[in-house]
Amino acid sequence: MIEEQYYDSDLHKASPPSSTSCYLQSTQSVLDLATTSNNKMVAEPRSAITTHRSVEVLASKLRRRQIVGSRATALETLLVLRQVISKARFSNLEQLVAIIRDAGRRLVDAQPKEHSVGNTVRKVLHHIREEVHAATRGNEPAKPTSFSISKFVLQGQPRKQVVLQKSEVKGTLRENDPDDPDSFARGLKPVLMEAIQDVLDELETVYDNISKNAKDHIHSDEIVLTLGVSKTVEQFLKSAAHVRNYSVIVAETAPSYDGRQMAESLSSFGISTFLVPDSSIFALMSRVNKVILGAHVILANGGMFAISGSLMAATAARAHSTPVVVCAGQFKVTPLWNLYHEYGALDFGNPSDVLGFENGDLVDKVDVVNPYYDYVQPELIVAYITNDGDHPPSSIYRLLKETYDDEDNDL
Amino acid sequence: MPVPTIADPPQPASAKPQGQPSQKSMTKAERRELQERQRAAKAALKGQPQQQGKKDPSQGKQQPSVGGTPGAQTKTKPPPTPQKKAFGGDIQGARQASASKDTGTGVIAEDAMAKQVSHGLRIFSHFGQPKPVSHTVKGDIHPEIIRLALLFSEFKISGANARCIAMLTAFKQVIQDYTTPSHNTLSRHLMTHLSPQITHLVSARPMSVTMGNAIRELKVEISNMDIDMVEQDAKDALCLKIDNYIRDRIIIADEVIEENAGNKIKDGDVILTYAKSSVVEKVLLAAHSERKKISVIIIDSKPLLEGKVLLKSLTSGPSPIPCTYALLPALPSLLNQVSMVLVGAHALFSNGAVYSRAGTAMVSMMAKARNVPVLVCCETYKFSDGVMVDGFSKNELAPTTVIQKYTHLENLPSSIEKLNPLYDLTPPTYITAVVTEVGLIPPSSISSIPLALGKTSL
Repeated sequence: MIEEQYYDSDLHKASPPSSTSCYLQSTQSVLDLATTSNNKMVAEPRSAITTHRSVEVLASKLRRRQIVGSRATALETLLVLRQVISKARFSNLEQLVAIIRDAGRRLVDAQPKEHSVGNTVRKVLHHIREEVHAATRGNEPAKPTSFSISKFVLQGQPRKQVVLQKSEVKGTLRENDPDDPDSFARGLKPVLMEAIQDVLDELETVYDNISKNAKDHIHSDEIVLTLGVSKTVEQFLKSAAHVRNYSVIVAETAPSYDGRQMAESLSSFGISTFLVPDSSIFALMSRVNKVILGAHVILANGGMFAISGSLMAATAARAHSTPVVVCAGQFKVTPLWNLYHEYGALDFGNPSDVLGFENGDLVDKVDVVNPYYDYVQPELIVAYITNDGDHPPSSIYRLLKETYDDEDNDL
Repeated sequence: MPVPTIADPPQPASAKPQGQPSQKSMTKAERRELQERQRAAKAALKGQPQQQGKKDPSQGKQQPSVGGTPGAQTKTKPPPTPQKKAFGGDIQGARQASASKDTGTGVIAEDAMAKQVSHGLRIFSHFGQPKPVSHTVKGDIHPEIIRLALLFSEFKISGANARCIAMLTAFKQVIQDYTTPSHNTLSRHLMTHLSPQITHLVSARPMSVTMGNAIRELKVEISNMDIDMVEQDAKDALCLKIDNYIRDRIIIADEVIEENAGNKIKDGDVILTYAKSSVVEKVLLAAHSERKKISVIIIDSKPLLEGKVLLKSLTSGPSPIPCTYALLPALPSLLNQVSMVLVGAHALFSNGAVYSRAGTAMVSMMAKARNVPVLVCCETYKFSDGVMVDGFSKNELAPTTVIQKYTHLENLPSSIEKLNPLYDLTPPTYITAVVTEVGLIPPSSISSIPLALGKTSL
């Protein structure tokens, strides 16, 4: 009753001439009004709508490409998921997983080419399962002891992450408690928040962890070639520059010419930097010691999608037997395969960057293409440097097994 | 016709006030004032018709006056002076200094640029920095050559064929204007007259292999001239030889290549080409005019973005060829629909390696990886005897002024070193066949062609 009065007064503030005859209807409209104005006083039942809204907001931002960059999207996704979980009502694990998956699916559908969204959801799900298992089963041994070669790959989680034991909830959690359906959620939520915080911390320290070993990869007087602009590669090179004196050749990477930005940033840091057009990569490759690339998505087979131009640089490096090293956060590792559309970039940029309207007479007659990504085969890559250690492309599948649960591969 | 050269005594700069105090003792305001006065005087001078062949040194810095040919003068715009970059902030002072102190400061500016470069890696030092267009002409240089040198240095004429034809045409003029000094013979002396001309051309832009080959041929012809021949007859004979060389080795050769390459083009083919080659352009247009249903993918890249010119010529006219245009990084995504790669060449080495516009090697490499045949169109006069193993050992850097003109991109901070190699070397393994006027040859057999064409010594 108090609530109703509150709405009533709110209603009159919002639209004073409303009549009593349409009371019910207008209360409903006020409900919407209250949620849109993000009113903190809204009570429990409306929270589902609010979280829903934050998912929608992120989805539309993704759709409009207002958020770009894998790490930014991963962070945003994580924050939304945290909101979703904190507001969610569930009495068993399946319900919770269904809620998260539903939110995840919406976000993935909004921008299917930004794989870090799905990866973050998968990772959160994985963490949640771990926490729940730890909390409900206590310290009962989870692993069967029988090993066989056929099971080795399936169960192979040789470097399982250490699960922090949350002692306060151990053993007290029960799913589907008929007396108190919220008890499961109440008991689990603090643990879940901590789990999400872990993922968040990992994302926030991703650059530091990747560039931690930079000095082992770059030696004095080396010449390193890179292209495009990648925050990860930038941090990696800068971190190596603290201890090593080396040179970087940055390819401009048409048509965005992002390489210029990269070159500026590196040279202002004091690294000797050369900016070259894409066309001269092959000519200079014979003097390059190492090619360091950024990735957009790392696929399960060890291949990757990266900014267009990467495939040519990697192939030229292979022709000169120059090692190609990829720096990427672990959140870019995706349980996807690219077997059938090997050459399709599947994402296209603005053609006016390639052939602008200043060539007006040409524009009508000519097809102009500006693919965004290249698929780089695993054979061309020597190693992935991630925040979870260095991996050859052939062991990316193992990293996947460790990071995500198999049932989440298809959200 | 008397040859007007810089050797004539230069007129003293009338704009320079007598007894002016030394530059350094003046305040900034004074300097600015002086400069304004000089500018006004210069503008007044420019209004008057300039004396033929005589150069005002203060103006020569800004505007290359080309042997008193007004047509050429309007055509060759003054290039932005490189001194601007070297001196950074104090542009005004620098320009004024160079304007009033004759040639001395220009050299200092070049030194400063060279020093900047030396901060970079030593392994890039052999490229040398593209020299700014030097307007100080040393020795007895024919105005036609001075003009040509400017056109070369500003990339108004570029491309192996175009440069070679332009050079030979200019040499014809030089030979006609030449008079053998007494106590000398044409066959002995003409080459000594030509060498400074060649040196001047090379100082504007490094010599192309085609030019080198043509000059070598010309030398042989000159030394073979009969001593007893009347001078004018000998000159005419030489000019005829030059005409024949251009006709046989370049123009007719291109027509034969057009036919040879055309035989390999079938209906429905998608032909990929990189940047612009005059021969490839002719091949494509010929195939199209034979009503073959072809479509063309033009891949292009900095530094020169020459593909746009090709794109224009293929799509202009009543029946344009269906074209796709993309930049080099997009190549892998397009290659799966390509049936043939057709590229031009700057030179061909005897190991079968193709020296061509930077980027060609990558196009061929990617095509080879996808099993798309790569045909290189190359006249036999582009063959070079030497062997080159990578595109790094010998290359040419495009000057920044030229790049800015071609790409219209904003300036970058000068702290970044920019390298713009113009060429790269495609290893013979990436090449399916070389289309020449003597047929389609695999790159492994290139070394035998000059011998088969009647060259006696290696």
